[in-house]
Amino acid sequence: MLILFLPSVYLTSGHKVENFKLKDYNGKEFQLSDFKESRAIVIMFIATQCPISNAYNSRMVELYNDYKEKGVSFIGINSNKQESVEEIKEHAKQHGFEFVILKDERNVIADKFKASVTPEIFVLNSDFEILYHGRIDDSRKEEDVKTHDLRMALDEILAGKKVSNSQTKAFGCTIKRVD
Amino acid sequence: MHKLILIFLLTFLTGTLITGESQKNTVKEIKVVKIDKDGLKKIIRNRNEKILFLNLWATWCVPCREEIPDIIKLAEEYRDVDFVGLSVDLQEDINSKVIPFLKANNVFYRNYINGFDNDEELINFLDENWSGALPATLIYDSNGKKAVFLEGKKTYKKFKEEIERARLRK
Repeated sequence: MLILFLPSVYLTSGHKVENFKLKDYNGKEFQLSDFKESRAIVIMFIATQCPISNAYNSRMVELYNDYKEKGVSFIGINSNKQESVEEIKEHAKQHGFEFVILKDERNVIADKFKASVTPEIFVLNSDFEILYHGRIDDSRKEEDVKTHDLRMALDEILAGKKVSNSQTKAFGCTIKRVD
Repeated sequence: MHKLILIFLLTFLTGTLITGESQKNTVKEIKVVKIDKDGLKKIIRNRNEKILFLNLWATWCVPCREEIPDIIKLAEEYRDVDFVGLSVDLQEDINSKVIPFLKANNVFYRNYINGFDNDEELINFLDENWSGALPATLIYDSNGKKAVFLEGKKTYKKFKEEIERARLRK
């Protein structure tokens, strides 16, 4: 069973998520509360094998570089059952991911967020409230991008404004959950 | 007289060969054209007493590829149901990925490629509660009314049940 939940219960903006603990690909434990001082926390459900997630690798690096100095934290989460810690480590190295990447064994956190695809983004404030949920931008092909939804959300958050488009959708690879 | 027979035979043989070749090509020929909102609306609306089984898939989507053999089986079984595939691959991948996949898997029902302005437009047009996770299947009754929206990979049995349920709708 790949999808274990109903679409009507997707976590949307305004919902609050609980603190959680996960290990990165080096075995170091992180918890969400470690990022509490951030002006925004970007949670990115990503994959090593999904071509859609991979189409965004360089865009994720650019986002991290553009916003890290502005007090925005980035956390990658890999919840795919078939993608090992070693594979995640190698993939991160290969694509120059400097942000934290956590392995979500048994997709516990993906279930809590009700994340369904990769890449899928949640932006939280320091109270862990969801301010934005959805895609990075509106096209898998970088040259066709018209709206930079995640950037727009981050800019509004940093300017102290309400996120005008807090919920977007896009195709992605289904997160492969444990049976 | 012999000449005439020879000409007749040659004409007949050539004709047969050409016809045979073109028939072979017709079977093997797979066309995938893009479809936009208006095109998809028309397909859903123009039911002609037939149920529509619409499967959203992509060549990069593993669970999509896994369920397609079951859909082919159902399409063979339910000749009175209109089976349509809609690939969300990129349009430039039609010849390099989509058509080779359809050929290799003998997908005989018709397939289109996403020509909507953006992915979100297609997602919301089909079902507002859909996250965009693939595969996704929609079954419309013979009046063009949505009977069911199925997100994620489904079994042959589940599809069959839903087709049967849609057939009962008037």
